[in-house]
Amino acid sequence: MSSKLAPRYWGAHLLALVLVAAAVALGLWQYGAWQAHRDAQAADLTSAEPLPLDRVLGPDDPFPGDRVGQPVTVSGTWVPDGTVYVSGRERDGVEGYWVVTPLAVGGPDAPALPVVRGWVAHPDDAPAPPTGTTALRAWLQPPEGTGQADDDPSDDVLPQLRIADIIQHVDQDLYGAYGVAEEPERGLDAASLEQLPDVGALTSIRNLLYAIEWWFFGAFAVFIWWRWVTETPEKEREEDSGDVPVG
Amino acid sequence: MKLFQTYRVLAFIVGVLLAFCSFVALPLRYLPTQGSNLQQLGETLSLLWIAHGWVFMAYVVVTFLLSRKLRWSIVFTLLNLAAGLIPLLIFWMEHQVNLKVRAEHPELVTPSAV
Repeated sequence: MSSKLAPRYWGAHLLALVLVAAAVALGLWQYGAWQAHRDAQAADLTSAEPLPLDRVLGPDDPFPGDRVGQPVTVSGTWVPDGTVYVSGRERDGVEGYWVVTPLAVGGPDAPALPVVRGWVAHPDDAPAPPTGTTALRAWLQPPEGTGQADDDPSDDVLPQLRIADIIQHVDQDLYGAYGVAEEPERGLDAASLEQLPDVGALTSIRNLLYAIEWWFFGAFAVFIWWRWVTETPEKEREEDSGDVPVG
Repeated sequence: MKLFQTYRVLAFIVGVLLAFCSFVALPLRYLPTQGSNLQQLGETLSLLWIAHGWVFMAYVVVTFLLSRKLRWSIVFTLLNLAAGLIPLLIFWMEHQVNLKVRAEHPELVTPSAV
């Protein structure tokens, strides 16, 4: 066994170390992704102190993963022409729609945050979208993106609240997030985060399955390395010449 | 021998899953317009990558055990293990293994009296 410590074998030891370290690191990465998914679902910030929107994210920032449901205060100018209806929102057992109007944060042409103003059973029941300026409190949410297709891109009904779809309805940039107004507008029922469609469980469990796989391969690399270290030199010589005659 | 048969079955499953995932699921997931029905199908089919990963784990163990039993060289063993990750290579490798076993261990492939 001491012969395996000879300098000419150091490369093999190093390779084993690198392989194991890589497998452990990749496993931890996948495990972290799985944990982050679960934490994002479990954390409830909805009763936290509201923060001004610009303290949480800027117009071009990616959504901060630990801020799902964070209450924010935001003021700006409504963009009534950008109003859309997001289908598949259930309220007290009734399938309905979220009424979403972008709110330009600052001037009328500034980047806008789509705001869920409330819930209606049918888009025809919704009051005319508001105009002018406002200040409101909303729960911040990352844009949805399960990839569900919009059957009819020409109307104002969307299957999910996706920035890439809403941007077709406005002239300015949009934030990478949306807000759910804490107080519904007059004429609308309250929208709440409970009305979000369920997220597929498989998307996050996939990360856990990958993590287990990576650790398995790490353990397997250790196993092979151990077999190699503890092998007797005779057996090794035999193996080295094992398949030469076949060619 | 059981191990050799198991190896062949696993190699076939890994090969088919890998080829399907790389040549059907992967292009479907990334080439069509984001959110279209075709792209959604690709998204769903991509779950087969998980199946590939787990069958591949079994393949790695069985191939390694077989390689010890039949005294394969390190290079031939590693090539066989890596073949489970490179589309289509595994079908050729499985053929090579088959030839090799027939040449070196004919007793493993002669059908036992049934």
